Amino acid sequence: MQKPPLKAVPERFQVAARTLFFDKFMTGLIMIGGISIIVAVFFIFVFIGAKTLPLFRSADIEAKAVFALPDEAFIFLGIDEWREVPYFVSENADIYFVDLEMESKDYENRGTFRLPNNLPDDFVVSHISLNTITDEIRVGSEDGRFTIIDVNYRPTYPADTGRIIEPSLSILPILNIGREGHPILELRYGSRGNRRLAAAIQEVDGRTELHAVTLAQRRGLFAAGELTEDRRFDLTELMRDTPTQILISYEADSILVAYESGEVDYLFLTSTGFSLRQSFTPFEDSVEPGIVSMDFVLGDVSIVVTNSKGEMRVWSVYLDPDTSTRVFGHTKTFPALETPASYFSASRRNKAFLKGSENFASLRFMTTEDIRWEGTLPFNAVKGFITPRYDGMIFLDDSNHLHFWDLDDEHPIAGWTSYFRRIAYEGRQGEIYDWQSSGPVEFERKLSLVPLIIGTMKGTFYAMLVAVPIALLSAIYVSQFLRPSLKRVVKPTMEIMASLPSVVLGFFAALWLSPLISNAVPSVVLGITGLFAGALIIGIGWGRLPNHIRLRIPNGTEFIVVAIPAFVVGVMGWNLGVRIEDWLFLQYDADLEREVGSFRLWVVNTLGMDFETRNAFVVGFAMGFAVIPIIFTISEDALSNVPKSFQSGSLALGASRWQTAIRVILPTAAAGIFSALMIGFGRAIGETMIMVMATGNAVVQDFNPFTGMRTLSANIAVELSEAEKDGTLYRTLFLCAMILFLFTFTLNTIAEVLRQWLRKRFRAVE
Amino acid sequence: MKIKNAFVRTDKPAGEVWVWLTGLGLAIGLFMILFLLAIIAWNGFNYFWPKKVVEITLSEEDGYLFRGGPTVAGVITQERGMIVENLAPNQGYLLDQATDNPDYLREIQLYTGNRDVYGQTFAYLNKGKIESIEQPKGILMVERLEWGNAILFPRKLVFADGTEVSVEDPEFDQVLRRELSVVRERRSVLDELERRQMGRINLRIDRARNELRYFNSLPVLSERQASERADYQDRIERLNAELQPLLDESDRLRAKQQQVTFHFVLPDGAERSQPMGDVVNFYYPNAMSVFDRWSWFFFKIWEFLTDYPREANTEGGIFPALFGTLVMTILMSLAVTPFGVLAAVYLREYAKQGPLVSAVRISINNLAGVPAIVFGVFGLGFFIHVVGAQIDNWFFPRMVAINTPVFGTGGILWASLTLALMTVPVVIVATEEALAAVPRGVREGSLACGASKWQTIQRLVLPASSPGILTGLILAMARGAGEVAPLLLVGVMALAPSLPVDDLFPFIHLDRKFMHLGFHIYIVALQSPDTEATKPLVFASTLVLIMLVVVLNLTAILIRNHLRKKYMSSTF
Repeated sequence: MQKPPLKAVPERFQVAARTLFFDKFMTGLIMIGGISIIVAVFFIFVFIGAKTLPLFRSADIEAKAVFALPDEAFIFLGIDEWREVPYFVSENADIYFVDLEMESKDYENRGTFRLPNNLPDDFVVSHISLNTITDEIRVGSEDGRFTIIDVNYRPTYPADTGRIIEPSLSILPILNIGREGHPILELRYGSRGNRRLAAAIQEVDGRTELHAVTLAQRRGLFAAGELTEDRRFDLTELMRDTPTQILISYEADSILVAYESGEVDYLFLTSTGFSLRQSFTPFEDSVEPGIVSMDFVLGDVSIVVTNSKGEMRVWSVYLDPDTSTRVFGHTKTFPALETPASYFSASRRNKAFLKGSENFASLRFMTTEDIRWEGTLPFNAVKGFITPRYDGMIFLDDSNHLHFWDLDDEHPIAGWTSYFRRIAYEGRQGEIYDWQSSGPVEFERKLSLVPLIIGTMKGTFYAMLVAVPIALLSAIYVSQFLRPSLKRVVKPTMEIMASLPSVVLGFFAALWLSPLISNAVPSVVLGITGLFAGALIIGIGWGRLPNHIRLRIPNGTEFIVVAIPAFVVGVMGWNLGVRIEDWLFLQYDADLEREVGSFRLWVVNTLGMDFETRNAFVVGFAMGFAVIPIIFTISEDALSNVPKSFQSGSLALGASRWQTAIRVILPTAAAGIFSALMIGFGRAIGETMIMVMATGNAVVQDFNPFTGMRTLSANIAVELSEAEKDGTLYRTLFLCAMILFLFTFTLNTIAEVLRQWLRKRFRAVE
Repeated sequence: MKIKNAFVRTDKPAGEVWVWLTGLGLAIGLFMILFLLAIIAWNGFNYFWPKKVVEITLSEEDGYLFRGGPTVAGVITQERGMIVENLAPNQGYLLDQATDNPDYLREIQLYTGNRDVYGQTFAYLNKGKIESIEQPKGILMVERLEWGNAILFPRKLVFADGTEVSVEDPEFDQVLRRELSVVRERRSVLDELERRQMGRINLRIDRARNELRYFNSLPVLSERQASERADYQDRIERLNAELQPLLDESDRLRAKQQQVTFHFVLPDGAERSQPMGDVVNFYYPNAMSVFDRWSWFFFKIWEFLTDYPREANTEGGIFPALFGTLVMTILMSLAVTPFGVLAAVYLREYAKQGPLVSAVRISINNLAGVPAIVFGVFGLGFFIHVVGAQIDNWFFPRMVAINTPVFGTGGILWASLTLALMTVPVVIVATEEALAAVPRGVREGSLACGASKWQTIQRLVLPASSPGILTGLILAMARGAGEVAPLLLVGVMALAPSLPVDDLFPFIHLDRKFMHLGFHIYIVALQSPDTEATKPLVFASTLVLIMLVVVLNLTAILIRNHLRKKYMSSTF
């Protein structure tokens, strides 16, 4: 059967091709546009998350190049920060430089040259060592003389060739130390400003002696004069055993002496000479207490010690609060090395160090006790060296080859330990959480997020303490008891509060509220108590009045009536607070030499807590302004949306309006109120300007209402604009933002799901 | 009687007490908001009001003097009880004296002005040691270009030719006012000259200098580059030559400003003088009529809104901050409206409704609750450090070479986009609600008449929901205008040298940093050297910001209420 041909649609009913095209076009545009906007909005969080990922990466290393070195026995090596001209030191203190073309990463040897070390012929080297942080080569002679050779680099820009790194040596005059004519076994040197200190272990007729000398610069008329010996110290008397190692920090004010027994003496230089400040045994509890190596990490505050079993510990200087002197304490224990280590190199950018022997090398980070990288090398290394920018390592192997390795470790300090664990920091006693993100390069950064999270919780807690009662009471009243005619005015007024910019609240709290109420805490507490007491008294009293009087006040206007007497009682409470202070909180003021009534002194003296003007108490009130309207609006909506039939039914059965509200409406809307609280909580967590302005921003880790805090959000606002792009701090602050986001987003999602569920339930009832 | 009452409950209903308690909650909430607004309004408006100046004579007991003399004049700003534990160690005796006369433990905060002489803005006087308070008619409050206000008794005006007009002269007041208008006139000429004409040339010199810096940074110059460099050197010289007559002119005008000298006596008797050119304005605070005061009040408000700031934002007006806020808000609205509406139309009209779409909807709703600072972090990390840096690499490689990023640093474009991202959920949610409120019948009717889907949306649905969209937009603007936290990261500045929009090509300078009212409050309130002295100004700025935000919000609320009525009555 054949279908009859379709009748053509008359032309006047046909849709114009243009309309169809345009419709299709717009559909496409809206689909693509809409989806991409939604994707873009979520991309924000992918982006922030991606920025934090490198923080949790460990170090990557890669072998780059190998060079053969001139035929000479080298025992030390180092390199400039551009990684172009490494130097090598032989046993006789001959210093060779190798000029490498690194620019194109096609490593190419451009030549080897030697700079004169100016040592006289009769200077027979008995000791040579290298400070890997300062590039100072310490040389001691068989006859008790010493000098320091400092390797310097300077970039020059000749017109036609581009940058060239020009090495040079600056050499101290040859000076005597200890007894003349006797060989120096160990030599250390430290200098800061005008303070210079050298110490040496010397062998005198089979005995070992310990000597130190301070150097002074004679002031010339036109130029800085020559260095000469200033004071000499014979420290042999202070020795208790045969010394094996010595260390001098760049502060040049103390000497660390390690003995054969494994003990370490901390000798401190005062105006009267050296005295023993402390004596400790790093491996006291180990079977092998003898110290094999002892070296400073950048900053010269912490020492890394190892014993013959390869065990590794870190001892750091901290301020002992009992004696208020700076002494060493055991702060870290690293996993043992497989073999006793032979070489050590400290990073000049952070607290990392390289330790290794033969074909094993380990790059470790002191602060976090973290092994950034560890492994076997395809050669036997005699020495290793971390490049000055912490972007590579160079090794000297036993067949006189130089090995270049790239090191990619942008954020050695970052990681779970650093952010969330207690850490023993340099200069501080015990394991603590702390946030102190910037300082000079040798400063140990403290990046614990715990105090910031505690601060955030503290601010949020006090905010909720103020906001929740007021918001919920108002929501119940407005939704259940208030006259509808008043509701149309009252609700927008409360909502205006939500729109107040937080910078206004922060300003108000910091400059108006905090001077006012931080000096009147008893008044505030009594005032608020008075308010509620006043309301209760009125309520009870009013309820006892006969009906014909009681009914004069129409339902739904109580809040105006109650306000007046309650505020009167509140003001009375406020004024009473001042007297209470003179009565209960009498404190002896040493300055005034008499007793004064002062709550602040009472908190400090009797409770032993700190008291600051910008404190959590004030922040709580200011944050109340930000949080109350949110909780109020959402919970009021939840309460109002309970179907009218619930209320009518309950009232018809004879329940009072309060019974209806509290037993019928409130349980029904509980989920909505819960979600209101969560959204309010989310707002409090993320609030920034109030926190920046009114908290004082000190890192605080307790819930003392009279001190401030530093919150995650304030921390981002204060520090991010100064943070170096893609640096550790920058990414860590992104991590803070991510935590804030995840927290608030989760809270809000739960709240939203609850509300949707509630809405569906109400719809079913209606 | 009895019958009528039969319908009223005669028993005491349970829980009435608690009703009162909830009523108190509302009362406190309302009190808080009204109290806050009242404090800000009072302090804000008070800043503009010409207050009376008092002359205080101290009793001189125990050698209690102000800068060695018994008299001091100023505006009483506050009277308060002293905080006992803050008393200095040698003030313990006050506690004993206060048992007889409590005034010994009260202090008066007196705004003395004359910061150049006194080194401070306020004097704190013990109320118990004040002998008398008077209001001398002849005292003058002088606003100056530097050092804030001066409070003084005028003596004479000395002209360049040596002639003098003494205060005893009946025409003195007239002469003083005439001279004031002369220097004010000249100052506006100077302003025009320096800010506009010289600023324009300086901008071009800066551009040429940047180019020159780029060529200087190159190790080797090709021949073409060398000639280009020479060109820029020429250009700078030419521009400098162009600038020179203007500089001379401004020097000449500045010298003229110094010609007339104003001699006066400070309340403590010290004789001083100052060039008239430093005087911004003056008034006789104790000799003003009510009308004078009100006209001064409105004049000061106008001046505050339209003037440039002086002395690191602590004096003068807030015009650049207000302007910056407005420009940023407008740019933000331009970005947020199309995107927000597009996304909402897609979600409501085109997307297949299902679990995925409702999940997306919930998430978008929740984004409104994500802390603003998080968006700031994104703005810095993405807009500035990724997009901006890339734009610079493409279009301004020379600026990158001399480490002077153009778009790779904070600016008004990035600030607006960041705030647009922050407020886009608000617009999406409001638009969706408005679209949902358009009755189904409207759409069906239109489609049945043969209109295409887009035609239906374009001609019926969008117009019907436009008030709702507008509400959302206004709410977004209110939130964007008041939010400061993200701006701290994306290009706000305490004192920007130029406005983001001006009469120089390309007129809208999207790369410029800008000033913002909220940031102005933050920075002046917390970072100025004398916060006590700048507090009144901050209150005034706060008042302006609040008015801006509250007016926007009220508009939104009104539109919303109006809409509810409209939709309730219109059913298909």
